[in-house]
Amino acid sequence: MRRRKRMLENLEQDIRDHIETETQDNIERGMSPEEARYAALRKFGNVRRVQEETRDVWTFVWFEQLLQDIRCGFRMLIKNPGFTTIAVLTLGLGIGANSSIFSIVHAVLLRPLPYPHADRLVVVWEKDDEGHPTNTSYATYVDWRSRSHSFDYLALASYSMGTLTGWGEPEQLPALRVSANFFRTLGVRPALGRDFLAEEDTPATNNVVILTDGLWRRRFSADPSIVGKSITLNGTSYTVVGVLPRDFQPIVSQGLRNIDAELYRVLGYDASLPWACRTCHHLSAIGRLHAGVSFSQVSAEMDTISQNLWTEHPTEYSAAGVIITPLVEQIVGPVRTALLVLMGAVGLVLLIACANLANMLLARASQRRREIAIREALGAARSRIVRQLVTESFLLALGGAGLGFLVAMWTPGLLSTLAPGTVPRLAEVRPDVPVFLFTLAIALATALIAGSAPALRLSGEDLQKNLTDAGRSTSGPAIGRLREVLVIAEVALTLTLLVGTGLLLRSLERLLGVNPGFDAQNVLTMQVSVTGARYKDDANVRRFYDDLLGRVRALPGVESVGMTSEVPLSGNKDMYGFHAEGKIQDNPEKDPSAERYAVSSDYLKAMRIPLLRGRSFSSADAKGAAQVVLINETAAKMFWAHDDPIGKRVKLGGMDQPWWTIIGVVGDIHHDKLEIPANMQAYIPHAQWPYIDSTMNLAIRTARPSTTLASAVREAVRAVDKDQPVSHIAWLSDLVGRSGETRRFTLTLLGVFAGLAMTLCILGIYGVVSYVVSLRTREMGIRMVLGALPADIGWLVVHQGVVRVGIGIALGVFLSLALTRLIATLLFEVAPTDPLTLAGSTLLMLAVAILACYVPAWRAMHVDPMVAVRHE
Amino acid sequence: MSTKERIELLQGTLDLLILRTLLRGPVHGHAIAKTIEFNSDDVLQVEQGSLYPALHRLIKRGWISFEDGTSENNRRAKFYQLTAKGRRQLAVETSKWDKLAGAIAHILRPAEQEGEL
Repeated sequence: MRRRKRMLENLEQDIRDHIETETQDNIERGMSPEEARYAALRKFGNVRRVQEETRDVWTFVWFEQLLQDIRCGFRMLIKNPGFTTIAVLTLGLGIGANSSIFSIVHAVLLRPLPYPHADRLVVVWEKDDEGHPTNTSYATYVDWRSRSHSFDYLALASYSMGTLTGWGEPEQLPALRVSANFFRTLGVRPALGRDFLAEEDTPATNNVVILTDGLWRRRFSADPSIVGKSITLNGTSYTVVGVLPRDFQPIVSQGLRNIDAELYRVLGYDASLPWACRTCHHLSAIGRLHAGVSFSQVSAEMDTISQNLWTEHPTEYSAAGVIITPLVEQIVGPVRTALLVLMGAVGLVLLIACANLANMLLARASQRRREIAIREALGAARSRIVRQLVTESFLLALGGAGLGFLVAMWTPGLLSTLAPGTVPRLAEVRPDVPVFLFTLAIALATALIAGSAPALRLSGEDLQKNLTDAGRSTSGPAIGRLREVLVIAEVALTLTLLVGTGLLLRSLERLLGVNPGFDAQNVLTMQVSVTGARYKDDANVRRFYDDLLGRVRALPGVESVGMTSEVPLSGNKDMYGFHAEGKIQDNPEKDPSAERYAVSSDYLKAMRIPLLRGRSFSSADAKGAAQVVLINETAAKMFWAHDDPIGKRVKLGGMDQPWWTIIGVVGDIHHDKLEIPANMQAYIPHAQWPYIDSTMNLAIRTARPSTTLASAVREAVRAVDKDQPVSHIAWLSDLVGRSGETRRFTLTLLGVFAGLAMTLCILGIYGVVSYVVSLRTREMGIRMVLGALPADIGWLVVHQGVVRVGIGIALGVFLSLALTRLIATLLFEVAPTDPLTLAGSTLLMLAVAILACYVPAWRAMHVDPMVAVRHE
Repeated sequence: MSTKERIELLQGTLDLLILRTLLRGPVHGHAIAKTIEFNSDDVLQVEQGSLYPALHRLIKRGWISFEDGTSENNRRAKFYQLTAKGRRQLAVETSKWDKLAGAIAHILRPAEQEGEL
């Protein structure tokens, strides 16, 4: 390399000497000095090219040229701050939307669950006779575990609730009861203390708990000696054996039971327990497959086992077969489509941004034709010019990428305010390396696409013509046409996004228009549970709730108050087999299930659930009186479509249960979700249920919204028994609203993207139309001089723009019809081809497009004809 | 200007000619160009500028070296000379050229082998 330096140092001098020597020779041959010099130069050839070629011998040519291009590109961009700002902003928004959604998709769908070898974790369901997955039972689980060979571990989990007392304010903690091997199945070890032991997993020894790190810090001040200490849960003493690692994520409990469990108790079942029966479907099974075992292998094995179990216990199963769901699918499956749709939407936004950038570059390129023609004349190769132009768009894209990554960095914060709890794993969203690489990759792709079209177009033009033409700022017809095509594409893509957004909007509107079957206005709900030795006696439980209801009813502003074991749309749910006398199937397990509500006599009144026939509950329907039940319309139609259900009898939850006499029919309510039609429902008086529900929910109807009611009720609970916690405080109308929350999340984002697309599209249309106007200013001036009215000129401009937009809209309609099928599963009672949405979106697009054309048109109308004619 | 028909150099042959010219000892740039033109009776048309990239290429490959000196008209100039490696390369290139020229001649004048037509 030192040679290189010495060689190049004097290159210019060497060449000059060479030419002078040659000149001298020529003079000696008798030429005039001037003639001699020209001859020497001619003979030598292009000095600059020789210098360049000589340097090229020594350098990584492409690299030096790249540096040159970058330097030159920077200068160009800095010289046009307006252009640069708008281009970088356009790209930043387009790329940012993509980075942001990608960071969600990556965290939720792509990144493995935060457990070792998470791809081997599966959820194992029993299959009911309709082919739906259902929970399993302890007896079935024991057989599964002993007969199958596909699992490293097969564990159980069940919803549980722990009321923590004795450490300050009583608090109800979301918890899971799990088999002792649960954490080994996940591959998680406690950070403090130890895991559950197999010998603790029995009814006699099950008073051990493991805390999450969060609970340990929040309630126990991160006490390092917590292990071995006792805590009181539900009035019983439990020993803390371990604390989970700080990074342990509760997504398993989210996926299985829709809670963020803070506490894990050992399950502690054995076969002798009544709730260990085969038909007691209330447990979730989660397994870790052996390495190398495929889903189809484990499915085949479990199907065989299940078939054998059905043969052995024909009345205790309604169908054979299991459903194996990968754990990740169980958790993220419900939001997959929505996220992919959003990813697609931001993809369209990026295409529009890309088209816009190409458009801007084309516009600028036509101003730079002279510069480029000169470069070519000076000997720049066409490929070098293309590279120079592409480098400039790369610089813009890098600016856009920087901005985009900033957006991705804000995403987690934005999500936590926009969509808490609507999408699983959102806590894992962060701008990490893959997000950064993705941002960079799409930025570079954008630069390549947006930058090369104008570059190729421009460098392909006739050099001579451009040089002579250069004084005029007109562009070749090719550039103009390309820009129009880009605008048409932008309109088509934007319309597609508008249609998609419109369809989701209509779905949400339809959904929120669904009558839930009760009046959700001004009803406050909250959960109260009773625990402790006193409440082993059912009479005390009844007395507690009677006392509480009396106190709440007396609170100011309370119109009525009811109590129920399950609140609709709150996520809790209790299904019981519905066995109607005279209509019970040979295998009672095949009878359909109904949602069961244990309620106080005023509950239906407080909820305003209408009574359709018969009578409602009264205080006379107490413990010891005739057992009575209310059924909903769906149940009545299912069993007694042609006769009167009143007076008929049913058993709930098995043939060994008592008979309940139907006394009335009430309206259907939506329990799970607004979009799911009502199930069969049965209401029984709380006081008459054989195993009294210790956890109940108050439904308090007030005259008007009240901010103080919740604390007043809390006071009332404390007055009855200070150790009983209150939780899940929510206005019923919020629960109804939350039913559409995932949808609203998708809609909000899609709306933002559609708005973004439309803004970009307006800029695109505006840019092209103003450009065309500037080209035709002179022509318009002449027209005006010849007598055209300003309105004619305006119409000329708008008309031209609108024709292009019309083509774009026509294409967009086709594109929408093709693409909206993909979001069919996100829609509710709206067809993907909904004509109203299509028409509305088209009109909006058209209106916006006309506006974008109108501004330049207005300017064209008001230009002074004399100025216009001289314009050039 | 000579009225003789002039022939443009084949790609790569300039390197060979430079090496051959340097066989007689160190020469500076202009002299190399002159020598090639003179020795070829002005038939070979060398665009003198193209000499420089070629010289640099040969130096980079290590076939020639240079040192600073003074030219006949008292100018500071680089004098190029063959290295041992360059000498060997000249032999290789020369024999390659002979083969190539022979082969081309053979194709163009098959009669020499088959007797007169």
